[in-house]
Amino acid sequence: MKHILLSAFILLCGVTLYSQSSFILSYPMGLPLGDLHDYSSKTSFRGISMEFLGHAKPGVAVGLETGWNVFYEKKNKEPYKQGTTTITGTQYRYTNAVPILVESKWYPTEEKKKANPYVGLGVGTLFASRSTDFGLYRITNEAWQFCVRPEVGVLFSIEPGLKAMLGAKYYGAFNTDDLDGQSFLSINVGFVFSSL
Amino acid sequence: MTTSLRYLLFACLLPLLWGCYPKGAEYTDELDLVYTNYASDFNFTALKTYSIPDSVVKITGDVISDPDGDGKPSFLPSSSAKVILDQVKLNMSNYGWTLVDKRGNPDVTILVSSMTTTNIYYYYDWWYYGWYYPGYNPGWGWYYPGYYPPYITGYRSGSILMQMIDNTSKPWGSDNAPVKWVCILNGLAEGGTANIAARTQVNIDQAYTQSPYLKH
Repeated sequence: MKHILLSAFILLCGVTLYSQSSFILSYPMGLPLGDLHDYSSKTSFRGISMEFLGHAKPGVAVGLETGWNVFYEKKNKEPYKQGTTTITGTQYRYTNAVPILVESKWYPTEEKKKANPYVGLGVGTLFASRSTDFGLYRITNEAWQFCVRPEVGVLFSIEPGLKAMLGAKYYGAFNTDDLDGQSFLSINVGFVFSSL
Repeated sequence: MTTSLRYLLFACLLPLLWGCYPKGAEYTDELDLVYTNYASDFNFTALKTYSIPDSVVKITGDVISDPDGDGKPSFLPSSSAKVILDQVKLNMSNYGWTLVDKRGNPDVTILVSSMTTTNIYYYYDWWYYGWYYPGYNPGWGWYYPGYYPPYITGYRSGSILMQMIDNTSKPWGSDNAPVKWVCILNGLAEGGTANIAARTQVNIDQAYTQSPYLKH
């Protein structure tokens, strides 16, 4: 996991050296949906999101996104039944979700105003790793899921080459054999660093 | 904003990445498990009496061990055994069962045994040697190309096994004694005698709570 993130981070930082590009670093708050919500319903305040964008033409950017969202919930001691079997214990439920997406953003007002809205769409994979600690045992389930990620947001100009951003992203992940789609909504706040 | 200030802002946001890992268990009782299972076609409430040996067998490994050659296995110290057996008797009594001697033709017998395992720690963090490789610290790790050394953790874990044997179906066939109810308490065998005893009592209570079919 660390190696994937580090490689992606180095790649993203490296490409920002080119002109007409920007790097978005944001803090995501994740609201679990669907199967992920059934497993752990708590909002995630642990995560990071990174995007590199190159400007294809005025008002349109294309690029890559990666990040890390950690969903966690402690389930207090309770019995779990299946057939005639009952097991009682405390469960610690962790889901690590790492999106790796290609994306495009559209800025209808370009950068003419102080606050400029944007919409975007990303497509790629979501690496989901679910671990349940139950007693002294850990049950882990991992999957690479197809993911579609629409987003909306607003950019606030601070000074040339630096903007603040506020946005919402929906990570719609598709079922795999090992794990149902781990979809979530994230609210992101962060900064956009652009080359001048 | 100067470039250096911008880098500072950037650097301040990065630690978010390292704050990602949430907490796990903090107390030993949070690692305790109580497992029960039973024969669903067996009518427990039609039976009334039970017997229980006054010792708890200590299972020491896969090979049957008889270190002193007296034809009997090793046993838990009587003080530890008493904590377990008294709690089982209390719960059986609360559920309407009557304790009888093994010569008193008991309907069922409860056999209690225990085992502990010491697990050895093989994993250790890169941090221990990060100082030797300037520029490769922190955040690096080990990897073993194409093979895996043992990856186990360092703790002593223990289990208590309870089996309820049906005596009413004697003579038993196929050289097998029918176990109609089984319970395994599993957890860390760490934290001092008083702590282990208290957790054992709580977990035995839980075993009965989650087995209401034993109640008269």
